[in-house]
Amino acid sequence: MRSRAVAVALAMVVVAVILQTTLFGEGRIQPFGASPNLVVVVVIATVRHLDTEAGLLVGFTGGLLMDLLGGSPLGLWAMVMTVVAYLTLRLRHRADDGVLSVAIGVFALTFLAHSLFVLAGTLFGQRLLTDLDVVRLMLLPSLYNMLLAAVVLPLATRLMGARRVDSWAA
Amino acid sequence: MYSFRRFDRTTILFIGLVAVSFLLATFDVRAQGEGVGSVMREGAQSLFTPVQEAASFVTRPVVGFVDGVSNLAGLRDENTRLAQRVAELERLVAETEEAQRKVVELETVLGLEVISDLPAVTARIVASGPTDFEEVRFIDKGTADGIVRGQAVIDENGLVGRIDFVSEHAARVLLVTDPRSGVGVRDLATNDTGWVEGRGTATLRLEMFNAEEPVEEGDLLVTDGSRFPPGIPVGTVLSAAASEVGFSLATTVSPVVEITRLDFVKIIVGWDPLDARFGEGEEEVDEEVPPPDSGVVE
Repeated sequence: MRSRAVAVALAMVVVAVILQTTLFGEGRIQPFGASPNLVVVVVIATVRHLDTEAGLLVGFTGGLLMDLLGGSPLGLWAMVMTVVAYLTLRLRHRADDGVLSVAIGVFALTFLAHSLFVLAGTLFGQRLLTDLDVVRLMLLPSLYNMLLAAVVLPLATRLMGARRVDSWAA
Repeated sequence: MYSFRRFDRTTILFIGLVAVSFLLATFDVRAQGEGVGSVMREGAQSLFTPVQEAASFVTRPVVGFVDGVSNLAGLRDENTRLAQRVAELERLVAETEEAQRKVVELETVLGLEVISDLPAVTARIVASGPTDFEEVRFIDKGTADGIVRGQAVIDENGLVGRIDFVSEHAARVLLVTDPRSGVGVRDLATNDTGWVEGRGTATLRLEMFNAEEPVEEGDLLVTDGSRFPPGIPVGTVLSAAASEVGFSLATTVSPVVEITRLDFVKIIVGWDPLDARFGEGEEEVDEEVPPPDSGVVE
């Protein structure tokens, strides 16, 4: 059961990265000049149903795949997604069940992920803070991810065979 | 007691993974596109490029539909504007064709390489960066097609960017709009040279080497021939600028390419880029410091 959940989580993360690089972004779906970050939502949606160690490794793997198929130095997204996975695992026991809690959680984690990426990227010479749209590129994806979560979280729960479909805590 | 041990293990694993990520990033930056990171990227691209091509093929109608719906309101205005623009451009084309014929004749007489005659490989864009922070595109051609790092990537309008990573059947294009991207340019109106940098947005930043000569709105900037073949359009000056306190002249530039409309691009393979000629270590120096004016077109 556990290995099946991990396999499903990894498969979902891989599909999310492929969709992120082919469906979203400039010249593709990018409402108001910013795209949702599907991988962050999928990591949140899957990790909350996994054991802590497996959850951290799924987050790390998803981030590493983003690094490998993106333009940032290897390890940046891996670090960010590990932090997202860690906080998701910590928050799942504390957050109240309910749509509002889930929405705020997804917004906050996406915003944190993008902020961390910008800071770490700047530290590694990516000059991300020189991007004039940096605040917009942190805020809008967080809003979009709140909407995506309404679809992705129940889907992940169903695919992973978890007990509860519509709650933040597994 | 049990929960404490469990928490401890989780935290240790978390710190370990963050440390591994940090080390990976450090080594990858220091390796400047080579080393283990490069091998892993090549492997991932070989594995995922066919999947991304298939996914791109499947999602293209969805993207087109969303694009169409989102642009529906502005289509009529856009149509009128384009009709006026077409009439204006038809007149310009007639004038330009004659001028172009003369330029080609002169370039041939002087023995200069003509950009349109340089061998180029056409490639399709199959994927973009995972987030909006990464101004990169992935194409379906690689070393097997004669592509190497540093080559210029263009479309029918002008410079799109340069190849910054390449595997056997895929390559990554760093767009001119990326903050890590820089290119030496020449102002066609004054013949002065400068340096254009990406800012992650729709506009670029221009800094002229000669601050005494002002730049005017609408001036066309082309590559100066130091890194890329000379004469490739890069952008037009958005607002006129004169020198600030006598030693700095900077303004904004609109790129000639429509980054959001890129589908097919050409990679100029018949020109030796500095990256390929001198090796990787010197390339990074070249990236940080604007190259001196090589005067290739003079």
